[in-house]
Amino acid sequence: MRWIIQSALILDPKGKHHNKVRDVLIENGIIQDIKSSLKAEKEDRLINAKGMNLSLGWIDLKANFRDPGFEYKEGLLNGLDAAAKGGFTRVLCMPSTLPAIDSKAQVVYLRSRSAGHAVDLLPAGCISQGGKGQQMSEMFDMMSVGAVAFSDDKPIERTALMNRSLDYSRELDVPLMSICMDPDLADGGVMHEGKMSNSLGLKGIPSVAEEIRVAREIEVLRYSGGKLHLMLLSSKRAVEMVRKAKKEGLNITAGVAAQQLCFTDKDLASFDSNLKVLPPFREESDRLALIKGLKDGTIDVICSNHEPENIENKKREFEHAAFGNSTIEAAFSLICKGSAEKLGIDQIVHALAIGPRQVLGDEQQSIELGNKAEFTLFSADVSSEYTKDSWISKSLNSSIIGQTLPGKVYGIVNGEQLVLQED
Amino acid sequence: MNNQLSVQHLLGIKDLTPEDIQLIFKHADEFKDVINRPIKKVPTLREITIANMFFENSTRTKLSFELAEKRLSADVVNFSASGSSVSKGETLIDTVNNILAMKVDMVVMRHPNPGAHQFLSQHVNTTIINAGDGTHEHPTQALLDAYSMREQLGELQGKKVLIVGDIKHSRVALSNIFCLQKLGAEVMVCGPSTLIPKHIAELGVQVSHNLDEALAWCDVANMLRIQLERQGSDNHVANFPSLREYSMRFGLSKAHLDKLDKKIIVMHPGPINRGVEITSDVADSEHSIILDQVENGVAVRMAVIFLLAAKIKRN
Repeated sequence: MRWIIQSALILDPKGKHHNKVRDVLIENGIIQDIKSSLKAEKEDRLINAKGMNLSLGWIDLKANFRDPGFEYKEGLLNGLDAAAKGGFTRVLCMPSTLPAIDSKAQVVYLRSRSAGHAVDLLPAGCISQGGKGQQMSEMFDMMSVGAVAFSDDKPIERTALMNRSLDYSRELDVPLMSICMDPDLADGGVMHEGKMSNSLGLKGIPSVAEEIRVAREIEVLRYSGGKLHLMLLSSKRAVEMVRKAKKEGLNITAGVAAQQLCFTDKDLASFDSNLKVLPPFREESDRLALIKGLKDGTIDVICSNHEPENIENKKREFEHAAFGNSTIEAAFSLICKGSAEKLGIDQIVHALAIGPRQVLGDEQQSIELGNKAEFTLFSADVSSEYTKDSWISKSLNSSIIGQTLPGKVYGIVNGEQLVLQED
Repeated sequence: MNNQLSVQHLLGIKDLTPEDIQLIFKHADEFKDVINRPIKKVPTLREITIANMFFENSTRTKLSFELAEKRLSADVVNFSASGSSVSKGETLIDTVNNILAMKVDMVVMRHPNPGAHQFLSQHVNTTIINAGDGTHEHPTQALLDAYSMREQLGELQGKKVLIVGDIKHSRVALSNIFCLQKLGAEVMVCGPSTLIPKHIAELGVQVSHNLDEALAWCDVANMLRIQLERQGSDNHVANFPSLREYSMRFGLSKAHLDKLDKKIIVMHPGPINRGVEITSDVADSEHSIILDQVENGVAVRMAVIFLLAAKIKRN
């Protein structure tokens, strides 16, 4: 089985074909040749990628597919279909399911249920048993069947647990993924605390609720060692703290949700519950600080923070609505809308393709002959229309539906699998 | 002056123009005459049916709305639910649609969640009046407060209004701020820093933590009720140490007023915790216009209902 992707503009910041128009020959899922022009055999499948960019396949380091337990919100296979549309070739799936992913058997379930899909599902296991934040789960055992990272997908209350888990994870050489929010300070808040929350009469979550936990994670990391990834930064001071910790040489990485680059608390003026998310959309100065953090490498990764929710949980009074925005299939558009001009496409590719590989410890960070073909085909200069009918996620809790946004994903190649978007 | 409102609903003061507010006042003047006649009633809204839906406890606001509706000759139905519809399992949209199916033209609603009225207005087809949405807005209270101030002081442009107390949990404060600013008044809030939202100054109000200084500045002092039910629970650190200490620092007494070299107007949206926000000798003094506020409440609500009903009829 031979495919030739023709005339794609390669975006591969660490590779030798960066910014060049190339043909790529893939045979049985392996990159066999890259040249400015390749001669096709009769039986070769040709993929015309003129006007498209080609990069290493994108990896989403935070998505929820709600399976097992809440399959009516998404489900593994449906979620992976949506991820493919979004241009992702791998997705780190959060373990906050019912039951929570905290044992070998559940990791095996995720692996076997998703086997054969064009998008690789990377299981994240819980740091604590049952995700309850008390005792450590069997991380070693879960890794033996394919868990690649650990997170409770919510703030870890007990500092001692964070400390112990980081210490224990050192020998496993696996990243722990933290969500930084002090629930006591957040105190039932439903949006960012600021002028906007005042004017809407909604209870605010102050930035300090995030910052105090970022500070704690950094100090615990300094003490115990290990690899720490802060999945969802939202405040400018938090970015500053990570910047400083990185300068000091701590083994810390950070991510930001695509939507965080696009929205601010001002967008909540109409009480649109689809924009009720955690961490909350903060102020313009925070948004700009996040973009700056991506630019200077403080933030390594842009994730989707895909949180599908059924309509009954969303179409209700703002305070009662669940947190979460369904974003995985439109993450690239959210990034382009929010930051394309300031970031530039190389940086976006870095945060989607290379940063995640660095967090996961994947050494293949450029496109090279002999490697598995894992690509995303896309363009930042073409826009996409997101409609209810074309929406793949089971959940319609998205502020994106009904909009035409910049950025288009044409398809993905993952080994012997190829998914091209129609039209 | 335009003779109709710029809005279809009264969701909040935020949505009103200064002209809308003046128009409401103009009609309130007329309705105040009506309710002081021997026959306190006009037949204007005979064909209109109004549902008062109170998802949160209320005595005076509900009574005031009901009287306003009845004095306009509207048909009135009342619905009360302790707690929100959510606790009963039915969604808010379903609850309201059920009542609308009985051919109701207008909904007056109080609800514990900020934005509930805006949410509802996007999903059901009726005219909505906000009688309080959590800690967000209470527009008719702000209108009747401003109307009552205007009765005493004339136009409010340049007047100085002080709001004292629990600003953080108060929809009255927020709606008052929006309303007074639209009418050109200056606003200062005063209370312990834990009861004043951190970013309130960004809304263009001044902040004080000293009652004497604040009183010296103002023409009107609006004393808000301490919402005892919102001050603390087992899981929540209370906002001030004790009521005793609160009233020592921020309770308004005759002694405060005697120190001033001018006469200020004292208001309170009720119900009063006598001896906490305000002492009895102030509440019952010539400074106080608390009962005028209550009377004006009916007239202002008649004006709002009348003007919104006119829009229904036009459609």
